[in-house]
Amino acid sequence: MTRFRHLEPVLWALTMLGIAFIGVGQSDSSLVAVSIAGVLIAGAALITVPASSGNRFSLALAAATAVPLLIGPIFDFGGAIGAVAVGFLSGWVVLQLFGSDEQTATADSDFLRQSFGAFLFAAFYVALEGAAGMWIGPAGANLVAAVAAALVWFGFETGAWAMTTYDRVSRRYLLRLAVEDWPVAFSLFAVGALFAYVLPELGWWAPVVALLPYSFAHIAFYRSHLARVTYSQTIRSLARIPEVAGLSPDGHSDRTADLSVAVATELGLNPHEVRMVEYAARLHDIGRITLNELNIIKVGFTDDDIARWGSEIISEAPFLTEVAALVRQQHDPYRRPGERKDPDLPIPSKIIKAASAFDHATSELGFSTLEALEVLHRGAAYDFDPDVVEGIRHIVMLGEAQS
Amino acid sequence: MQAVKVRLAIAYAGLGAVALGIAVATQEFPPLRDWAPFAAVAFLTVYYAVEVNDHLTASPAAMIFLATAVAFGAGHAALGAAAISAVTPVTKSDIAERRVALSVINWGQTVVAAVLAGFVLEPFFPAGAWSQRDFPLVAVGAMLASMVYHFVNFGLVTMAVRIVYRKREVRPWSRMGSILRSTIVMGFVGGLLGATYHLVPVALPFIFALFGVGYLAFSSLSQLREAQEATLRGFIKALEAKDLYTRGHTERVAYFSQLIAERMNYRGTRLERVRWAALIHDVGKLAVPRDLIRKRGRLEDGEYQQLQVHAHVVEDLLAEVEFLRPMVEIASGHHSRFDGGGYGGTGHAHGNPPSQEARILAVADAFDAMTSTRSYRVALSQEFAFQELRANAGTQFDPEVVEALVQSVVETGERYGSPNLGSEEAARLIAEGKGRQ
Repeated sequence: MTRFRHLEPVLWALTMLGIAFIGVGQSDSSLVAVSIAGVLIAGAALITVPASSGNRFSLALAAATAVPLLIGPIFDFGGAIGAVAVGFLSGWVVLQLFGSDEQTATADSDFLRQSFGAFLFAAFYVALEGAAGMWIGPAGANLVAAVAAALVWFGFETGAWAMTTYDRVSRRYLLRLAVEDWPVAFSLFAVGALFAYVLPELGWWAPVVALLPYSFAHIAFYRSHLARVTYSQTIRSLARIPEVAGLSPDGHSDRTADLSVAVATELGLNPHEVRMVEYAARLHDIGRITLNELNIIKVGFTDDDIARWGSEIISEAPFLTEVAALVRQQHDPYRRPGERKDPDLPIPSKIIKAASAFDHATSELGFSTLEALEVLHRGAAYDFDPDVVEGIRHIVMLGEAQS
Repeated sequence: MQAVKVRLAIAYAGLGAVALGIAVATQEFPPLRDWAPFAAVAFLTVYYAVEVNDHLTASPAAMIFLATAVAFGAGHAALGAAAISAVTPVTKSDIAERRVALSVINWGQTVVAAVLAGFVLEPFFPAGAWSQRDFPLVAVGAMLASMVYHFVNFGLVTMAVRIVYRKREVRPWSRMGSILRSTIVMGFVGGLLGATYHLVPVALPFIFALFGVGYLAFSSLSQLREAQEATLRGFIKALEAKDLYTRGHTERVAYFSQLIAERMNYRGTRLERVRWAALIHDVGKLAVPRDLIRKRGRLEDGEYQQLQVHAHVVEDLLAEVEFLRPMVEIASGHHSRFDGGGYGGTGHAHGNPPSQEARILAVADAFDAMTSTRSYRVALSQEFAFQELRANAGTQFDPEVVEALVQSVVETGERYGSPNLGSEEAARLIAEGKGRQ
């Protein structure tokens, strides 16, 4: 695969060039109009906005929504796809030449996805506008067609992102996460449509009128993103305090959290539950901060004590009560002799118990992956839930196969 | 106070009614299909008010009142805006806390301000059909109207607070600049949106939808921020509670730092930063072996070094959180002396003098250390602490900061430390059970 890494973008660029030529050749609009639309898309493609899933949307979504609505007195499909092709191609070239490393890293897949989505939008728009025009007349037809085509685009964008982002977590989970991005996508489509509607009447005031409300939303998304990052960084730093104090093995909380999150998505937990798993896994050993108290050094402690102390500390944070409960139960067996599975024990606690044991075996006891899995399998009678063990096995074997 | 509030509420309601009456007498009510959607949006905005931005102080409701006034156009502006402001006086928290009188007062002042703003707008409307060439004039008119709206509103609020609480200085005038700026921005945006409605009515749902989505994101943002602060606070509290002698220390140091910083005219983000630095200034000790922290008597040189190393490890960890980095810098600089020297801190390491924020934290920390009981001595008196701080001003402490602390603590009328224990020696003897207070 790696040998063809540079081939893909080249093929894509050639395709864009071809579509641009054919589109402009078929177009009834002037070359100037198509070029202006292309420049609009190219510029917009360089401005991105972070969404809650981790995907980054670009303003090209807005521009590519506006272009089909604007170009031509009657709909001009050739002009629209020509402008889209010109726009994404020139945006990509600019990014390759002047973009930062961070931007160019994902540029290839982002532009491929976005340009294909834009073609889909244009195609669905032209088809639906014709169909809707027969039912409800031309006045409402363009609005109905734009909304429907935007839904198709959003579906494609989220689906394609979930399929191409591989991060040790399940695709189904990524898809669920991507659907939570709807506010960002919605605001981009809305600002594109708004611009298309007001441009003929307002002229030069149109960009101002369209961008004022959008910039409000943009700032909100951007700052929410920063706040989310800050929050998880804070949790991570707090979780590492016992490690830097030498009370708990270095990196254990990070590794346990990574594995737990992967398993949680594998087992089909929803985004909120996965977040709880992440926080609880990071903080599961925070109770160890208590270990350097003199009387504890004298009296000794059990695993359950650490779970209790940790949960006491976490429950001081009002937004983490759920996490505190999960940490409290992190050592409980999923089943006791002669009984059935404990239905009250939350899945996240079971995941953390097994993931922490796995990391302990590989990192501190020096076990190989297979030996560590064997530890989990042997404990599957009472300690580790077989479903969770199976999840860990799947994730770990997948990781082995990749490396 | 309740009687005063009720009388004031009646007076303001009367004022509002008179203003509404004048608008009804001179203007026509706008068509209901124009009025209803604007009213719904304005109501929702006020009801679900979120803190949007530290720099935009004024409520976004004003922007919607202006947009409606412009959208309704000549002959309708004042009555339309007033009729909308009249249906939106309550917020969610008003209902939750049953603040009836306050809501009525709010209603009165909002209606009066909206009517006046509407009349200010009238001369700026184009005579015939609207075109994009009218936009600049309408925008200027809306900015003027926005200023009128805010100043009338501001004046009435100030008056109400003065009458009810008998306070003379209500809001510091230093914030006038930012209020004026946001007023102008809101006026401009409101005016443009209203004018857009005349030319492209279909654009309005899109605009409101965009604002709505932005609003949602901002409200989740303020929730996240709250969660962030609550989490850090909770952890610090929980970890601190394990040590009997320093319980409440960080909270008090944060409070003293805030007192000093406010007196030295810190506002907004800068003030927050000092408060946060105070909250985290002692996290470093979490990684230090307890026997060292709780040791009776003075630390030996080797132990002292160990303390510094451990403190730095945790500080580095917190500095990984980008948001906390400036606070960590302040916190780690607070052991540096005003004249250079002392242990720890980037300030010392680079040979730079500590920042003013770090100097504030140093004084607040020292004051609380002296006025609270430690493992090796009981609390000293407040007067003694002031004396000590002043004696070391210019060398260890910044004289300006010390004076700010003394003045602001005296002003609050609060007292810290023991009533009359004026010597370090005596305090130590009492703690060792050899003396009597």
